[in-house]
Amino acid sequence: MKKYVFMAAVLTLFLYALPARADVDAAAAQKFVEDVTNDGIENIINANISQKEKDARFAKLFNNALDMKFIGQFVLGRYWRTATPAQREAFIDAYREMNIKTWSKRFDEFKGRDFKFTGTTPSNSANQVFVNSTVPMPEGEPAKVVWRVKQTGNSFKIVDIIIENVSLAITARNEYNAYIKKAPNGIDDLIKDLQQKASGNDSAKK
Amino acid sequence: MKMLRKLFLGMALALSISSGTAFAAAGNHDMYADDESVLEVYNRAMFSFNNVFNHYVFMPVAEFYRDITTPFVRKRISNIFDNLHEPVSAGNYLLQADPKRSGISLSRFVINSTLGLFGMFDVAEAWGLPEKQTGFDDTFAEWCIPDGPYLVLPFLGPSTPRAAVSTGLAFVFDPVYWTTINDANVHDKIAYGMAVVYGVTAMEQNMDLLKDLESNSMDYYAAMKAAYMQNRKNKGCFKDDLSTTAGYDFDFGIEDETDY
Repeated sequence: MKKYVFMAAVLTLFLYALPARADVDAAAAQKFVEDVTNDGIENIINANISQKEKDARFAKLFNNALDMKFIGQFVLGRYWRTATPAQREAFIDAYREMNIKTWSKRFDEFKGRDFKFTGTTPSNSANQVFVNSTVPMPEGEPAKVVWRVKQTGNSFKIVDIIIENVSLAITARNEYNAYIKKAPNGIDDLIKDLQQKASGNDSAKK
Repeated sequence: MKMLRKLFLGMALALSISSGTAFAAAGNHDMYADDESVLEVYNRAMFSFNNVFNHYVFMPVAEFYRDITTPFVRKRISNIFDNLHEPVSAGNYLLQADPKRSGISLSRFVINSTLGLFGMFDVAEAWGLPEKQTGFDDTFAEWCIPDGPYLVLPFLGPSTPRAAVSTGLAFVFDPVYWTTINDANVHDKIAYGMAVVYGVTAMEQNMDLLKDLESNSMDYYAAMKAAYMQNRKNKGCFKDDLSTTAGYDFDFGIEDETDY
């Protein structure tokens, strides 16, 4: 009898412990981010290829590494709930294109700099973990770059990048929510403006 | 020029008073909440004004400064300003109960002001005394004084009550300000002249970033506010571990994630 009680107790403990342990593989998440940054530095920034090829490779890396659907949903915030399926899809596409365009331009800034990975921090959100890194700066102390990584099965996706405490997702969320609130046609205006920026036509500047 | 100083001190005082009341309300202030208050209306108006001023005056001057100098020269000039900040750092490290860092800042000031030719060259760093700036804002954060709401200042741009008071204090405690204070003829000219030159050098350093942010944002004001306020979090007494810093709700209902 005693034995059964003991086993039940062990089993209960094990079941309680299970979700926490099965949550995220932090080491694998860090490896994933390291691979993404190495890939970007070696095969895009340092590669001796045309700008067009660089842009194409960057777009591919970006799409593989980031969960844009997840990010876009967070960024739209409460407007996601009221958006139609068509609006949601159009927004994610426009947001993706705009980000690829702006970041492929910014990406060259990282030339000659190496990310130094400094471990991981657990997250309160399910299946997510923070991967910490630093980047040397031309002036002063190195910049802190933290990657928010989400695990689904054995695959990992980046869902936010936090540079010196500034989260790109939160910044975009604040910005787009303010935009939608002021725009006469709300989310449709935002989609149109994003598309215009992505196609390089800045004439519709606000 | 005397008037300007009085105006400035008056402004700092008014800010510290209004920040006192602002601090009281800061506890339940949510930086992510929609803010349609009078402050937001003022902030947006002032932000637009600053933006126009930046584009037509400030940035062209910074552009000109960039044209007539080489990176080497600009580095010497920014080093001079960094060096002049060392006494403020030293004092604030003391206020933060960090005498070791205070000593380093003070040593750096002495070494670089002399051997480093008025701070143009960072000799102290090569001697194992690396630069690490601090200021009144870090001290206030250490003392658990809340930041208060986002506040756009004329010409100076994004700020908060705590940041504004800190900037004012740093100006008054700048060595150039207090070493010339007894000579009324040159004091104001030098102090404000230095502030303007410093502003131009700072703009030269940040101009590209500002232009990038502006051209890639849908709502420049909102983007700047969000970035500025996040960057100021996680200081001193408000320091959290990272999981809570970025501990915003990043969980969605599964039904939301799949239904489009």
